[in-house]
Amino acid sequence: MGTLLQQIINGLSLGSVYALIAVGYSLVYSILLFSNFAHGSFLVIGGYSCYFALKTLGMNIWLAGGLSLIAAGVSAILTERLAYKPIRERTNVTLYLLIASMGMSIVIENIFVVTVGGRFRALPPVIPTNPVNLFGLATTSAFDLISLVVAIICLGGLQLFLTRTKWGLAIRAAAYNLRIAGLMGVNVSRLISLVFFVAGVLAAVGGIFLSVRYTLYPQLGGITIKAFVAAVIGGLGSLPGAVVGSLILGLAEMLTAGFISSQLRDLVVFSLLVITLLFRPTGLFGKSVGEKV
Amino acid sequence: MSAYTEGIITLLMINAIAAMGVCLLTGFTGVFTLGHAAYMALGGYATAILTVKYHLHWLPAVVAGGILAIVVAYVIGIPTLKLMGDYYAIASIGLGEAIRLILENWQSVTRGARGYPGIPTFTTMPVAVGFFLVLAFLLFCLLNGSYGRMFKACRDDHIAAALLGYDTARVRVLSLTISAFYCGVSGGLLAGFLSFIQPVMFDMLKSTELTAVVVFGGLGSLSGCLLGTTIITLVTELFRPISQYRMLIYGAVLVVIMVLRPEGIMGQYEFGPKLFRKLLGRKAPAQERR
Repeated sequence: MGTLLQQIINGLSLGSVYALIAVGYSLVYSILLFSNFAHGSFLVIGGYSCYFALKTLGMNIWLAGGLSLIAAGVSAILTERLAYKPIRERTNVTLYLLIASMGMSIVIENIFVVTVGGRFRALPPVIPTNPVNLFGLATTSAFDLISLVVAIICLGGLQLFLTRTKWGLAIRAAAYNLRIAGLMGVNVSRLISLVFFVAGVLAAVGGIFLSVRYTLYPQLGGITIKAFVAAVIGGLGSLPGAVVGSLILGLAEMLTAGFISSQLRDLVVFSLLVITLLFRPTGLFGKSVGEKV
Repeated sequence: MSAYTEGIITLLMINAIAAMGVCLLTGFTGVFTLGHAAYMALGGYATAILTVKYHLHWLPAVVAGGILAIVVAYVIGIPTLKLMGDYYAIASIGLGEAIRLILENWQSVTRGARGYPGIPTFTTMPVAVGFFLVLAFLLFCLLNGSYGRMFKACRDDHIAAALLGYDTARVRVLSLTISAFYCGVSGGLLAGFLSFIQPVMFDMLKSTELTAVVVFGGLGSLSGCLLGTTIITLVTELFRPISQYRMLIYGAVLVVIMVLRPEGIMGQYEFGPKLFRKLLGRKAPAQERR
């Protein structure tokens, strides 16, 4: 019973970190209708800028965290401007954007390999990981609880931003129909930059937590494939879907690791993806893609 | 010819066979896949196990690898190819990774993540070139026949193709199985070339590379796909001395080509009189897509 509770908390905590990344995927997908495979690089950028801010600049975690969020957000905007915007302006075939985003993710990953080396780095102990006893029922680590709380705050903040602000309204309108939103006077180019910035910031938060949970290395972004799977399970383009999908995935992964075998966890993740697509091709909360005949 | 050059040509032929498979599926049928390395893995492992454990001659072993890929593709294709557009691409990521993970975890058969050593090195340059020529000829005949027109019809407008009486889902499954065969054979040849295979060699990066090569060369152009394979293989091989920057350059080439010429190097043109007419400025038949 204790183990079960503990694995559930672990799963929720991991799932909430996935959710931060998956929401970024979904945001970009809902606007531009393509899966941004370079998204994983933003969390690597966030992780590394946090690492260097802590290690070489000697900042405290709040300052370093803030800096890394901005660094990831800005690099997300730059990626969009350099790689996606020229393609977007020329053609509306989203596959080209997909391939370009894969190219970008390879480029960014290898910039880190070339400049800082491929070795594993551990973040200084900025986030407490000491065990916490939960009402005598189970023991979990403070880190899991903190990442859960931070993810909830970030996602709540995003929800408020999307529902209460003018730019949030614009993003929702653009998710409905980008062209018409543009015709209604939304500055589409700035809106897309904003969306990429928000996605990058959320990815950096996820990146900091993931580099504490595992270690930091240039290929850490590969883990976003799971967040991507979560976004698909929830329904691409749907933010609540991304969150629910991530929680399902986190729970499935941790429960498999805890009760069956930790080697099978990735297999479970991808089987969940395939099963979801077979029975609900648009995901749990996805908009149905109507075909015109 | 030095052994190094021979090696590069052999590798090029192996990559080209896999790329032709993806070209058929993505370029000519319009189904985007990001998991085709899994079929290479299946072919490779089937060949490895049959030659090492059961001492089968390599030729039937490679063909058996291709046939295993066909069977798996058929089983997978029937439910998933009802998905349209991006969603098949996403499903193929999951399927590809799932197959790779099964190979990685099925210790008793595949020896797990450590890889499968001791495969006889049967893929010499003549073998690879021979396979390539035969398979390229077959694909060329297929694409210029009535099946080719059927594939292209489904790519260009699947609704119109359905109205003409084609069973588009069945056409897609057919295209997938043929392309899986090509990738399976290519994987078998790769196993015979390297004499060692490992599940990591067939990860998503490899799948991406296969699709990227096809898009890079030009969707719907067989010669473009071969040209793309040649360029990408040469870029990754010739830059091996500066291996740190190799992948950086590869990624950058991918982005730059998408930005500068998203329709690929060749577009939909093949090497031939039509291309020359276009280059000389005379009007070639309209070949616009979408």
